[in-house]
Amino acid sequence: MVNEYFEQLTYGRTLDYYIFELANFSIFGLILLLLYRLNFINSNSLIAWLGIFLSPLLFNYLLFSPYLFPDQFEYAREAISVKANGTSWADIFFYSNNNFNLSTENFAPISTVVFSSKILSTIPLLNYMTVTSLAFANKAILFITFLWFKRFFNNENEILLYFLIPSILLYSSLAIRDTLIIVISIFFIINLIRGKIIWSILALIPLFILKIQMFAILLIYLVGYAIFQAHRSKNFFIFFIFIFLISGLILEDLILLILDRYRLAFIAEDFVGVDGAISYQGWDLYGGGEESVPELSSIFSAIFLGLLNLPILLLIPMPWNWSGIFYPLQTIESIFLVYLYFNLSRNKGVLMDYQYIFLTFILIMGLSIYALLMANEGTFVRYRFTLFYPFLFGLLYLSSSDYQGSKKAYKED
Amino acid sequence: MSFLKTYNIKEKTKLLRDFFQEFFLIKRSAHAIGISLIFSLLIIQFSTPKFYVSSALREAQANSQQSVSAGNIAGELLLGNIENKDSGNFGTFKANMHSYALAKRMWEQGWGSKVFGDGNLDEEYFNSIPKKHKIIDRIAAFFSGYELFQYFTAHDLQSYIKSNYEIIKPMGSKNINVSTMTPDKEFAILFMSAVIKETDKYAKLRLIQTSKEIISASYDQLASSRNSTITSAIASTINSEYFKIANLENDMPYHIYIVDPPHSSEYPISPNFIAIIFSNTIIFLFLSVFLSFISKNKEDLW
Repeated sequence: MVNEYFEQLTYGRTLDYYIFELANFSIFGLILLLLYRLNFINSNSLIAWLGIFLSPLLFNYLLFSPYLFPDQFEYAREAISVKANGTSWADIFFYSNNNFNLSTENFAPISTVVFSSKILSTIPLLNYMTVTSLAFANKAILFITFLWFKRFFNNENEILLYFLIPSILLYSSLAIRDTLIIVISIFFIINLIRGKIIWSILALIPLFILKIQMFAILLIYLVGYAIFQAHRSKNFFIFFIFIFLISGLILEDLILLILDRYRLAFIAEDFVGVDGAISYQGWDLYGGGEESVPELSSIFSAIFLGLLNLPILLLIPMPWNWSGIFYPLQTIESIFLVYLYFNLSRNKGVLMDYQYIFLTFILIMGLSIYALLMANEGTFVRYRFTLFYPFLFGLLYLSSSDYQGSKKAYKED
Repeated sequence: MSFLKTYNIKEKTKLLRDFFQEFFLIKRSAHAIGISLIFSLLIIQFSTPKFYVSSALREAQANSQQSVSAGNIAGELLLGNIENKDSGNFGTFKANMHSYALAKRMWEQGWGSKVFGDGNLDEEYFNSIPKKHKIIDRIAAFFSGYELFQYFTAHDLQSYIKSNYEIIKPMGSKNINVSTMTPDKEFAILFMSAVIKETDKYAKLRLIQTSKEIISASYDQLASSRNSTITSAIASTINSEYFKIANLENDMPYHIYIVDPPHSSEYPISPNFIAIIFSNTIIFLFLSVFLSFISKNKEDLW
């Protein structure tokens, strides 16, 4: 059922809200019981996923106001409108009010909100009534990813814990597009490591609209993998880095222009004026224009600055940024994630595998770009997680029985 | 079709059938559905029916001048092609609609009495409608050492408008939608109509005032100007400002025009009868299945 009057009737904090969303949860609960009975998931997964599916009801309206993430209402409004009006993909791409312009300021050909909402609205939920309904769509997408990913492992408990990381629990409990970006990126990385390049290219296309930064980083991974075979040997890897640097120098002006634009954009977004004017409006009044942000002088200075800021990006929010109970928890999680990555690399003996070296190189490169652009901790904690988490899954796959088995078979051949 | 062999469809179908027979087709499920129906009817019985009252507006003039600033570029870069929703005439209209100044004007016309009192338009009456405060507000006032207002004021009317009357411009749409949910549709239609007209009128007044100030300052400059080019430019400014005033000083809407006047939904849209019954049925059915499942699989699960 769809709430056609969502603009006015958000159902927040009413009994109806809990009825509609508990009904959504109940459907997933029934599916979980059924899957357990059919031996698709084990008892640990059943209990954990019952908890994960219940989590949307714990965040919005209970732990915090949904207006803390106001974008949720944009996505929910659009998804509900798409459902209510039966908007098709053709409508979205060709007939709706999309300007389809590809300028330097606006890369995405259609609105990211409309596109993400359309994808999320294809999940057949019982109720699309409130802002939290879309969170259930996110959970469903995450659960499908779990079912797909667990088949690479002998023991599904090995990966279950990775779905219980607080940030993924939080982002998938909100009506935002981060889960979608994460899941598509995971699909891209795993398929690339498995050598299924066509699937990876198919996954990369929606990222162009959903998150252009992620698209750019993964495109470099795809080019390095498919064309330069940088995952195969030391020589190929070094050759790729050499070409990468040469291309960087040839396109230096364009790259620096884009990086400078993004740095300015993030600084402006984070701006707080003397009279309380914030973000872009505040920046227009008091920010001092483009010239007030020092420009990057060369590719090498950009690399140096990025690497210099990398440890900060990996650990934010720092203690001096803490302004609530969630901040120290996020810091602990940041440290835990970095520890997890290195611990997993060491324990599973993948350190000398060129798949691992190339994967980690792309991750560090992506994180360094974010570190270079970093302005607002809140935004970049989210950005960092969206980039880091799919690569963690990439590493997890490298340690899986499926990958290790295929590697062994390849060596024997 | 090798995957069908891997999944052993026959066995899974049998498990599925057993699952339904074991957990769905039992007395407990029938009881759960029965209880859910009673529960739903009780909820519906105790809910106040609410109508959806809305009006469609359209910006009267396009916002022709949009400065290309660093902030604009930055915003576009990060937000994609989401247009700045609170810009142009819509932004002006929304800011005015939620302003204290508008609430004060409406209060003076007696709308406060219609919202909080019995509708008596006597000024003495509507300025002394007693206001009840929550205990938490009383405690806060006591400890912080300030006094709470005894009567309703324009501030309350402003909060009422802000919290009950939603104004949005849907993404990609040219229309502005003003809406509210209310048990009293007749009053809501009247009030919404008054809010829309008064908002536009108030926004116009400010523009008239600005034009008058510009004219006054321009006359001062004209008196002291010796340069013919400057004199001609100032004269042209005065002319255009007089023209603007002439455009503004009439009863026609200026910032917006009303495409669809305030109207109500034919039937109450809340409570949603079907959605509540259906949702409760699913919830109670799940509870029934879950309890049966736990009792039968206790050993395996723990």
